Amino acid sequence: MQRRIFLKSLGASLLWTPTAFALGDDDRFNVGLLKYEGNYNPRPTAIRRLLLETEKVTNIRVNTDDLVLTLDNKKIWDNPMLIWAGDRKFAPLSDGDIAALRRYLQAGGMLVVDSNEGLEDGLFLQSVKRDLARVFPDKKLARIPRDHVLYKSFYLIDTPQGRLGVSDNLTGIWDEERVSVIISPNDMLGAWARDNFGNWLYECSPGGERQRDFAFRLGVNLVMYAVCINYKADQVHIPFILGRRKWKVD
Amino acid sequence: MWPDFDYNSGDLLWLGNWGLGWIVAVAILGAVILGLSAYDLQPLRPTRRYTLLGLRAMVFALAVMMLLEPAVDLKNVTKVKNHVPVLVDISRSMSLTASGDDTTRRDLALDAVKRLNLPKGLTDEDHFYHLLTFGNGVEEISPEGLDVVAFNAPTSDLTAALSGLAQRYKTVELGGVIVVSDGTDTGGIGGRTRRDEELDTSSLGILANVGAPVNAIRVGTPDSLRDLAIKRVKHDDFAFVRNRVAVDVEVQAIGFDGEVLQLTLERGGKPLQTRQITVEPGKTRYDVSFEFVPQQLGREVYAVKIPVMDQEVLASNNASYFVQKVIRDKIRVLQVVGRPTWDVRFLRQLLKRNPNIDLISFFILRTNENLLNARNDELSLIPFPTDELFSEQLGSFDLVVFQNFNFGPYAMRQYLPDIANFVRQGGGFVMVGGELSFADGGYAGSPIESILPVKLPSTTGRTVDLSEFRPELTDAGTRHPISQLAFDPASNREIWESLPLQHGTNVVLEAKPWANVLATHPRLTAGGRPMPVITVGEIDEGRVMALTTDSSWRWSFERAGDGGTAREYQMFWNNTMRWLIKDPELKLLRIEIEQDVVGPGESAKVTVRLQNPDYTPAPDVRGVLTVARKDLDKLTDAAKPTGNIPFQTDARGVAQIAVDAALPGVYEISAEVDRDTGKLVDRDLFLAADNASEFADILPRPDLLQSIAKATQGASVAAGTSLTPELRAPQSVQVNKRVVIQLWDNVVVFLLTLALLLVEWTLRRRWGRL
Repeated sequence: MQRRIFLKSLGASLLWTPTAFALGDDDRFNVGLLKYEGNYNPRPTAIRRLLLETEKVTNIRVNTDDLVLTLDNKKIWDNPMLIWAGDRKFAPLSDGDIAALRRYLQAGGMLVVDSNEGLEDGLFLQSVKRDLARVFPDKKLARIPRDHVLYKSFYLIDTPQGRLGVSDNLTGIWDEERVSVIISPNDMLGAWARDNFGNWLYECSPGGERQRDFAFRLGVNLVMYAVCINYKADQVHIPFILGRRKWKVD
Repeated sequence: MWPDFDYNSGDLLWLGNWGLGWIVAVAILGAVILGLSAYDLQPLRPTRRYTLLGLRAMVFALAVMMLLEPAVDLKNVTKVKNHVPVLVDISRSMSLTASGDDTTRRDLALDAVKRLNLPKGLTDEDHFYHLLTFGNGVEEISPEGLDVVAFNAPTSDLTAALSGLAQRYKTVELGGVIVVSDGTDTGGIGGRTRRDEELDTSSLGILANVGAPVNAIRVGTPDSLRDLAIKRVKHDDFAFVRNRVAVDVEVQAIGFDGEVLQLTLERGGKPLQTRQITVEPGKTRYDVSFEFVPQQLGREVYAVKIPVMDQEVLASNNASYFVQKVIRDKIRVLQVVGRPTWDVRFLRQLLKRNPNIDLISFFILRTNENLLNARNDELSLIPFPTDELFSEQLGSFDLVVFQNFNFGPYAMRQYLPDIANFVRQGGGFVMVGGELSFADGGYAGSPIESILPVKLPSTTGRTVDLSEFRPELTDAGTRHPISQLAFDPASNREIWESLPLQHGTNVVLEAKPWANVLATHPRLTAGGRPMPVITVGEIDEGRVMALTTDSSWRWSFERAGDGGTAREYQMFWNNTMRWLIKDPELKLLRIEIEQDVVGPGESAKVTVRLQNPDYTPAPDVRGVLTVARKDLDKLTDAAKPTGNIPFQTDARGVAQIAVDAALPGVYEISAEVDRDTGKLVDRDLFLAADNASEFADILPRPDLLQSIAKATQGASVAAGTSLTPELRAPQSVQVNKRVVIQLWDNVVVFLLTLALLLVEWTLRRRWGRL
């Protein structure tokens, strides 16, 4: 019965196209890249590629304009999702930046940290952790469990992937029930990056293109988690998700 | 000097203030002196020796007596009579038959009191008797008064009557208690002790506190009586809507065997559920449970009924009525989202964190326009269960939120009338802006537009405006609970003017005549007036709101960037939820009834609270309370008006009104007040019914009276037999006259002592001693 309704709904959607107005492009989904004193943008095209992939596979409308923001830029308050990328050690953030980042995260913002070093605990991540300890002195990084909604917010994901398979886990900092900081050491941006001719800029290792696909899936899930939070943890979804995971395992 | 002989009691006293040590020392001294004397007098013949020793011992004894100062305490005393209360049960069950014939328990009780042969003036040599009636209180009555008093007390609280004796006679001595009753104690002891059971510890404690034997005259016997009774109905005063409710019923069937009885639970006079009871030999108590799920909010009258059989002692205890108020446990909100956005995310997070909200969200995460290189089983997506949500389960929600949602792609047109009906029948609905909302959602001309508080343009015209703006509060908006972010209207405006800008709006036409516009666009107009941005309205029983922007989330997140907090965003949406679901706290006129159930002839205390639109108390406002009544056996009929009670609110905006409930029934009360903004009305009801406890168990309980008497060493007899009560003899006496006579302080003792000394001296000299 539900499947029939679903198919009927899908069929109807083919015959109907919504007026493609958005209430201002500013309010379309975008992700800011955090600018700091250091190599803040080692994968310049990656975020745009993730946004395009998101618009391709989901119902989210995106704005692909580059959005490189310092923490004192008012525009970070237009975008509740920031990516903090890097591949080397950097100087500590100023006290003002630390306070601004704390306020941003406590107000509902989400920070995704992607290390492009290829190391599980390289100098970049050490620098990030140093500053996060100043942002949340009373909170600790913890492994995000595999049954967390982040792994099922759109795609069903078993292992977080990136350009490299440095770690099988993501770590995070919780703000009540929400993970406000997510850290990946797998260079997700490296897997997403493409040149202007459409060529991938970096090989994915060891899984090749399949791994890249899963890196994009993780990126889409991150976006979905940012805008839907724990929607997929609602009771109504659980029977479907459990059924599909069981089917896969068997 | 000597007293007359009007004394009937006396005691010997020793007034000398000598301790025991001194008395022992004097005794030893006396023994030593007599010993030395005996030694000294050895040469004398024994007769002479003993004579002198005897004289010396007597002199010494007299000296010691004078030291001890003996005295006689003479008293004239009389006994103090103790008190004996005679408790006569005048509850309504006493007007019933005693054992199946025409003799009532009252007749037997009056006869029993006569057989007690209480002395004239209610006093005899040892006791004062007090004739008392008990029911729902204890009253002193004369023997003549007892013959004419009405046996109609609504309860027979023997436990309270016995417990109160200790306080009533706290300054005097209680010689015993005599109880004349059928034993249907509606108080603690009777409630806890089932037929033929032993008294429990608590009951024994109550009886021990009486401090005297309780004698009982047992009126009536359950043998040969038949009665069905709803003895007890256990229910909660409050129930939560759409949550399972249990009603436990205890039925008592005495004098029946093998019958199949039908027990019915009724709501508002209509049968809700039935249960069958098959009466088994020797079993009188039957426990039956009903379970149901209330679907509507408000107060309802329930009845538990069992048919009246032939030759029952009493028919009225075959039904029991109660009132239950159904309230929300949580606000059930259905959030339907056409496209994930920041606006969606912040609203979901707010609703999800509210412990009073049970949120069901459905987000359209992808459509057929999206391309996927993954299999279905690699996705967490589920079908959009339109039929289940909008047909089967719609009524279970309190509020539906359409947020940036277009119904077209999901074959939902057939459900739109249902959603409109849901709202008209009391549901809440809010449409939040976005590129898929309002006219762009295809709602123009649809059943949804009929319930929206704003008119929609056609999609051929301009449907969105992308410029930034700040909503401007209207006069209504400054004091409406949704947009009231500060108590003071000026402060409220300041807050709204400080909120972050909204990024674009759906274009709508003017507000409908029944709607209230709370905030408008500063530049756009509709129908010659500023275009509504926040509009609310009541349509039939439901409430609706239209918010034409999709960036209210900026009041939370962006405001934090300005150094503010999310307080205003949270207040706005929490107020919105509460107003849309008609939170009673947000009603300007409210009726509060102190008790759900009163007895016939009693009054219900009704409080009317009136507030101004800005939620300040409304003093000195006149209104009318309309009262109407339904008979308990005609609850499905319309209530008949019984009168209007005018009222005026005091300085606190409150009016206290007593509504008389002369007859049993359901009393529907309605408060009405005319205000500038229109007529305000609130309704509620209460029940006037006989106290169920008195007639719940109307069969005599001689076993209980016997147990009480036994526990207190009292006597117990059946009515018609003369009682010889166990009464304590008076323990106290009263001293009418008293005198103390000192035995040593007189000349006789002095002369006797001198005489003895002289004789001893004379004999000693004559017998040759110095």
